[in-house]
Amino acid sequence: MSAADNHIVARASPASRIAAFIGVLLLIGLIAAPWWAGRADMRLISEICLYVALASLWNLLAGYAGLVSVGQQAFVGLGGYFLFAATIFFGVPPLAAIPLAAAAGAALAVPIAVLIFRLRGAYFAIGTWVVAEVFRLVFAQVSALGGGSGTSLPAGIVKGIAASRSLREAYTYWMALGLAVLVVAMVYMLLRSRRGLALTAIRDNELAATSLGIDIWRTKFFVYVISAALTASVGALIFLQKLRISPDAAFSVNDWTAFVIFIVVIGGIGTIEGPIIGTIIFFLLRETLADLGTTYLLVLGFVAIAVMLRAPKGLWGYVKDKTGVELFALTRRVVPKR
Amino acid sequence: MTKSAASNRPTRRAFLTGVSATLAAPAIMRHTRAYAQNPVVKVGHVSPRTGPLAGFAEADEHVLGAIETIFSGGLENNGKSYGVEIISKDSQSNPNRAAEVAADLILGEEVDIIVAASTPDTTNPVADQAEVNEVPCITTDCPWQPYFFGRAGDPAVGFDYTYHFFWGLEDVIAAFLDLWDHPDVSKAIGGIFPNDADGNAWGDPELGLPKPLAGAGFTLTDPGRYQPLNDDFTSQISAFKQAGCEIVTGNMIPPDFATFWAQCAQQGFSPKIVTIGKALLFPSVIESLGDRGDGLTTEIWWTPNHPFSSSLTGESSKALADSYVAATGRPWTQPIGFKHALFEVTADVIRRAADLDDPAAILDAIRTTDIQTIVGGVNWAAGPVKNVTKTPLVAGQWQKTGDGFDLVVTSNAPAPEIAIGGELKLL
Repeated sequence: MSAADNHIVARASPASRIAAFIGVLLLIGLIAAPWWAGRADMRLISEICLYVALASLWNLLAGYAGLVSVGQQAFVGLGGYFLFAATIFFGVPPLAAIPLAAAAGAALAVPIAVLIFRLRGAYFAIGTWVVAEVFRLVFAQVSALGGGSGTSLPAGIVKGIAASRSLREAYTYWMALGLAVLVVAMVYMLLRSRRGLALTAIRDNELAATSLGIDIWRTKFFVYVISAALTASVGALIFLQKLRISPDAAFSVNDWTAFVIFIVVIGGIGTIEGPIIGTIIFFLLRETLADLGTTYLLVLGFVAIAVMLRAPKGLWGYVKDKTGVELFALTRRVVPKR
Repeated sequence: MTKSAASNRPTRRAFLTGVSATLAAPAIMRHTRAYAQNPVVKVGHVSPRTGPLAGFAEADEHVLGAIETIFSGGLENNGKSYGVEIISKDSQSNPNRAAEVAADLILGEEVDIIVAASTPDTTNPVADQAEVNEVPCITTDCPWQPYFFGRAGDPAVGFDYTYHFFWGLEDVIAAFLDLWDHPDVSKAIGGIFPNDADGNAWGDPELGLPKPLAGAGFTLTDPGRYQPLNDDFTSQISAFKQAGCEIVTGNMIPPDFATFWAQCAQQGFSPKIVTIGKALLFPSVIESLGDRGDGLTTEIWWTPNHPFSSSLTGESSKALADSYVAATGRPWTQPIGFKHALFEVTADVIRRAADLDDPAAILDAIRTTDIQTIVGGVNWAAGPVKNVTKTPLVAGQWQKTGDGFDLVVTSNAPAPEIAIGGELKLL
């Protein structure tokens, strides 16, 4: 018997099986949250879900496709404005506007990608920011949506989601949870697919990937459009909860990109687990320290510096390097046949 | 299996009854505070403690400290003493954060009343959250048009849960027209408005300054909205020079005004009167302009010389400002009076509400408010639209006195009860 016969190539590991089991239990618990959690808890969980989605999408862009965008707020804001325009002018039900926002995000991402993919590295990052600023300035001129002043979502539209307040809150909560699960599942499935293999190759070495025959431009284009579409969807849901939109709030680089980068860098870039762990840490810090004013922002800065110095691959990257544990079964490994 | 054992098993019907009872329990067993030993009313408060709008909330700590001392004895409602807990949150000058903390206060802390102050970026997101989540809300310190029309308000319908007291653009216009009525100044005005909530409202051709200015015989040169944090005002300044403007007015944030005013000097444009809303409210801003801060004019909502006193403590405007100056060593600012008044109104509502557990009763108490506060009368029955009531407004000038600057009321036609403190000096 040769050595090859005794071993097989596997992706799943005991850790990933246990994680999947706990994950499913956790998900069932979260789906049932409207029955056991208070209104404030539900709102907090949905905010966490939305940040998990944003961070996972940014991680897909930066961590796998090497597209370091600091302009994702362009799509968050676009989704938000799309929701307001669709519901106020065309009477689209808010919950239906959320998937439609994804279509709008994708449609706009195509020409933008063609334009900014001509830039590389730092120039690409600045280019994406410029695009987001252009969006902000353009929406500041749309007087039907309040121009620079912004506008509020009429209470009647929000109340149109469902008759009772608790049902309304449950629907928006499930939307947020569903979106986060959809995004994480999409990233996972994508990375396990043929295209995911190409992405992993690009992440590790772009030049080597080209020499293997991977069409880098098309792979990146695909990832950019997908994440723009889903980011717009998340944006629509964010502003359905905020109830008010203005160009500065919609295209805020701090809220929708800087915090997201913080989350991904802390959690571990280039891993699926990283953005989830980063979001939890970010919310732990925010819930405990936000009342301290500027001290809170200082603490965020210190945490970021400390993690970058001590664990450059983020907290999950550090754990993974030490233990080899992987909660989402992605890496192929050779294991002895049982 | 015996029959009795089978009947002990929960039937489908018993199960459903039990579950629906459990689900309905929160609605039936509504917690009634009136029977509690020490009932507490929770008031949520949102203001911009940090960020670019921090000047508006600079006095918060002092004013809230004093209010908490006053409330520590409890407020009487229907013959019972209620404790008042004020939970204050920082909006970080960010409308996104303002909406988040308002939702936290409403859903997490379950406040009975939510109050907020300072600029549309704070009042509007908080009021929107309150409206949808059905919690009574009182706001101040933002002209009523950006508050009401900025939230897509319809004067015929109004809002159900959100109420606001401050002045409006018509008051600013009246106060400014009175200020500009000077024999040595021509009637050519340059208007400079940013593309933000306040700028759009002030520059609006129908509801803003342009129409009444034309009616009063002024010619307004309006070169269009600029983006906030602009660094080049050359085109505006040359338009003003070309039109021979001797007065400049508008609504700016302090950094924009500093840039504009420095470039006016560089480009040799020297108007005789400069009256700007929002930017020139705070002594710290005027001091940062050095000698060029002397003689600038602004709207005045409150000064220590206003002839009003607190309904909570009976102290005069002067005493309130003096206690701030003595405690902090910093000059008084206009929001002090309004922040105090916001809690005067809140206390009045808490005292008068028929049932503090019922938001509808609290709203009734807000609607029937009629008190004299340290910033003037507050009475929603007398407002221009359903959810707004107005306090008096005058205009005045920053004048150099010794080392510092003093804000002097120079014109009071719209509110003659507020005494004039000095003459307008041309720049």
